Order: sequence, then C-alpha cells, then structure tokens
Amino acid sequence: MKSILAGLALLLLCACAQLPPPVSGRVILLPGPDGRSSGELHVRDAAAADAPWQLLLDPYAQIERVGGVLRRSTSTAQSVQQRYGGLLARQPMRPRRYIVNFATGSTQLTPETAPLLEQVREALAEQPAGEVIVIGHTDRVGSMEANDKLSVARADAVRELLVAKGVPREQISVAGRGEREPLVRTADEVPEARNRRVEIKLR
Amino acid sequence: MALRTLLFAVLFGITAPALAADAAGVVKRLQGTVTLERDGKTLPVALRTEVQVGDRIVTGVDGLVGITLADDTLLTAGQNSQLLINDFKFNTTTNEGSLLAMLVRGTLHVVTGLIAKNSPLQVEFRTPTLVLGVRGTEFIVDAGDGATP
Repeated sequence: MKSILAGLALLLLCACAQLPPPVSGRVILLPGPDGRSSGELHVRDAAAADAPWQLLLDPYAQIERVGGVLRRSTSTAQSVQQRYGGLLARQPMRPRRYIVNFATGSTQLTPETAPLLEQVREALAEQPAGEVIVIGHTDRVGSMEANDKLSVARADAVRELLVAKGVPREQISVAGRGEREPLVRTADEVPEARNRRVEIKLR
Repeated sequence: MALRTLLFAVLFGITAPALAADAAGVVKRLQGTVTLERDGKTLPVALRTEVQVGDRIVTGVDGLVGITLADDTLLTAGQNSQLLINDFKFNTTTNEGSLLAMLVRGTLHVVTGLIAKNSPLQVEFRTPTLVLGVRGTEFIVDAGDGATP
C-alpha cells in the first residue's frame, strides 16, 4: 500500500514537472480578409530593450513568451477560433467606402451613382453605432478656390440627400478637399468625370 | 496669411464632427460590463461613448468592447481585459499620426488603420511582457493575467 502511494505521488510529481510553464504573452498575426498576409509585426521582449526584434510575416505566425523566453510557432484558424472566437465576433465593422459622381461644375449626382445612397442608408441602419464621413472632390476645371467651395457644396448635397432618406444628421460629418486629391491625375483645366466625386465612408 | 489659415480651417475642418476634437475613438460594439477610467474616475461605457488619450478601458468577466479609432484602427478587447490608450495623434488631411496602446491584461484584436499605412513606424502596442511594432496588419495579442513570469 505504501509503495502504491509512493508510486502515485511520484506519478503526480512527474505530471507536475511536465506541466508547461505559463504563457505570459502571445501574439498571432492574422490573415487579411483576402486570406493572405495582412502585413508584418515586429515583436520583442519588453524586459530586454536590446533584444533583437522578431519578425512575423505569414498568416498565423505566432510568438509566445514561455518561462521568460520568446518562442516562435504557427497557430491555426481552428485554434484561433477556439480560443479567440468571441473576440473575433465582436470587431467593429470594417470601414466601407462608396463613391458617387457629379455632372460638371454641379452638385447634381449622376443618375448611375445616385442609387448608392440608398445602399449607404441600409448599411448604416444595420450598425448599432454607425457614422458616415462625407468628403467632396472636384476635377481641375476652374480655380482652386472655386473647387474648394464646390467640393464642400457636393459633400453638403450628399449629406442633405442622406438626411432626407432618414439618416440622423448628427451621424454625418462633411469635408471638402477641392481638386487636391484627384482619383485620376490630370493637367489643370482638364475635365475628368471620375474626379468629380464624393467619397462616403461608413464605419 | 491669417485669412488663408482661416479659409483652410473652414474648408478642411470637418463640419459637424462625429468625433470631438480630443476623442481618439468611439465605442462601436459592446457586451457585458465595460467601464472606462479617466482622471481617476470610473465612467460607464455605452455605444458611441468617446475614448480619449489616457483612458483605461476595463472589461469584466462578461465584458467585450469594440472601438473604432479616428484613423479606422479597430480595437476589440476581450473579457477581463485592461487597455490603456497612451498616445493617439491623427491628422485627417495627411492621414499621418501615431498610436501607442498598452494591453495591461487580457486579450485584444487589432486591425490597423490609416496611421499604420502612412506612418508605419509610429504604431506600437505593448503588454507587460511584449513590445509590438506594427506595419499595417491584423493580429491578436494576449497578455494573459498581466503577470510577467
């Protein structure tokens, strides 16, 4: 009986000794929405300012700090889902962008892009705390000053259309960038339909 | 010159700001108990609560919170977490700035935004044991219970 107990105690001791030391930090690089690498992370031990940075580049590349030492490994989609699924499920929405276009020199939406505003309204209505950022642009026909004003007027026009659809005004912010941020680069005084636009960011 | 500056402010300053001038971000998703510590006070957190530099966001055992920063960075903190926004600067015209946040305890999911794209060396996350330099990416960081064995 004594020897059995001693054996059990020994087994327990072995089991304890084999318990891995605690993980005191973990970083996992995730793939982007397209499943490919989303960028790069440089990781180092906070306790050692002169320690070399370790680079994480591939999806699910992982660094764990175990027993005071950084260890590299690779996690998996399943493991991340199991351990961090709740976290992943409660991310804020990724910003969505919509572009509407305008007739030359006017705040009149093109008939092709006007229906996009309904999509913006619908997408916003699904968000518990959504907001809309409306930024107006022009092409390079006309003076800088006139285009600064026109870009704000276009953004204002989009805001009023959204408000008319029932979007709360306080959820919309508006700015104009004039001809300074063209989508397509052109020489001055060249009309370019793609630059006569308002960018709507929903987030 | 003054007139030009004023004109610039009028044209480029976002009218009817969704964010107050000193807000770094806004609470977009919320579950369970989440509070915010600011200037030694504990404040309740609701949807659309604004988060400022210096704030400590604290989630309870049932708490989760999703925050969108002004540069589109998405931060989601899991249960039993503490997240400190040490620094956040963002220029809405140039899309440049800096971000430093400390996960004191718990778990955090990050999708970086415009700052990481335009000022890649200016985005850093820390835990008690790790330092992360970020170049435009998505990741999870786990600080466990905040101990540093």
